[in-house]
Amino acid sequence: MSDEELLFSKNTDDTGAQTATLYKEGAANVGEAIVITSGKGGVGKTTTTANLGTALALQGKKVCLVDTDIGLRNLDVILGLENRIIYDLVDVIEGRCKMHQALVKDKRVDERLYLMPAAQNTDKNAINPEQMKVLIDELKREFDYILIDCPAGIEQGYRNAVAGADRAIVVTTPEISAVRDADRIIGLLEQEPIEPPKLIINRIRKSLMNNGDAMDITEVTTHLSIDLLGIIVDSEDVISSSNKGEPIVMNPNNKASLGYRNIARRILGDSVPLMSLEDDQPKGVFAKLKALFK
Amino acid sequence: MKKQLIHIKGTKDGLVLRLDDQCSFTELVEELGKKVTDGHLDGKIDVQLHLGKRYCTQEQKDQLTGIVEQQQKLCVKKIQSDVITLEESQKLLETSRFETFVGIVRSGQTIRVTGDILVLGDVNPNGRIEAGGNVHIAGKLKGIVHAGMDGNEQAIVSASHFEPTHILIGNYVEVMTNESQYILENTDQIFAYLGENNVIAYDRIQEIRNVRPNLSTFKGGS
Repeated sequence: MSDEELLFSKNTDDTGAQTATLYKEGAANVGEAIVITSGKGGVGKTTTTANLGTALALQGKKVCLVDTDIGLRNLDVILGLENRIIYDLVDVIEGRCKMHQALVKDKRVDERLYLMPAAQNTDKNAINPEQMKVLIDELKREFDYILIDCPAGIEQGYRNAVAGADRAIVVTTPEISAVRDADRIIGLLEQEPIEPPKLIINRIRKSLMNNGDAMDITEVTTHLSIDLLGIIVDSEDVISSSNKGEPIVMNPNNKASLGYRNIARRILGDSVPLMSLEDDQPKGVFAKLKALFK
Repeated sequence: MKKQLIHIKGTKDGLVLRLDDQCSFTELVEELGKKVTDGHLDGKIDVQLHLGKRYCTQEQKDQLTGIVEQQQKLCVKKIQSDVITLEESQKLLETSRFETFVGIVRSGQTIRVTGDILVLGDVNPNGRIEAGGNVHIAGKLKGIVHAGMDGNEQAIVSASHFEPTHILIGNYVEVMTNESQYILENTDQIFAYLGENNVIAYDRIQEIRNVRPNLSTFKGGS
């Protein structure tokens, strides 16, 4: 091989490596924005946002939670950060403060979980989707994951929340009314230039499902025909921990908490089997006998 | 010898008048006037006018009909032409177009077509399909379907799982109540059509061949 040729091949290698590192740097700096929406109110969007965000932060990711429910904020309450808010989303967008001044740090998960609170004294029309996209793009440079808590409905607030997102998670409960609204919102999301939305079925009550009084998981997923990201069982602890301002995922011994942790792992790309709804102890005489002879 | 402008042919359905399509319209009118008056015709006779490659406006067609029907015994049953306008052909093309929609028609969405449509997917509650022609759904129909929107009462709606909330055919509406669902017994492979007394009726898809035999466009066989 001549020297010239060697030089040539070395050159191409070099440039190849260079572009690879460049690409890597770019990728490392750009986080992913996920909007959490449902259409119907009260199905657990805010609780899901708080818990998934905390779970992702516990897994070592840098996470920012953005509350877009302007005028009716409560993500801050659930996280227990209410009295630490100084500036808010509208202040940042209207240039009254810098972005990092408005971010509230959650001290429980060191240096990794932040909240961008919504404004309470203005309404959803104060900002527009373009401004929102600029803000989310700026946040994406500093965080691994940005979870956007969407307000209920399909109006301005929804459009603002979806504007900057790369992916969407639709939360529903196994009730017909919630599933109908989820269907509507999925239809709208499918028209956005984002990945197909994923589904979380929240507040599952095993007894109701077994009796046929509530829609079961396959009924909901076949009706909506989108991928299931995870299920969360109904638990009273979720309400009590929300009232205390401490997300349920902080408690490792709870089924709802496990559900959120599983979903966080799936978001990170792990394959985690769907949680079984059955109790650990076998019930009935035959089941007990069977367990005995195993 | 002068060229014959009108050929008369007798068939079992009556007389067929084949009119020349190259001469001027006035010539033709003149000739037609002569032809129909000098015939020795008995009894009432049905007449078909074949215009060949001549395009006639409705006015001209009326004029031709008028001339023929001067003769009390003659009655124009049909005027046939080998040519149509671009506008008419476009309309025909639109209504005979067969569209395929792949996906799920979700709550609040409307799919609108001028001709027939095949939906490969579900129509969810509050999702709506509007078609000028027939609607076929190879999935679950749980929403609203309007077939034959422009008043085509021959249109049908078929679905592999038939559980709609509303069915509209032409200008007739059927709200699927619990009772009408009950009549269906099973919901698999059902089609809806406008039956007697303009009441929307249902049957198994296998019965389409008896109820709407003209729906088939397949020619030939083995």
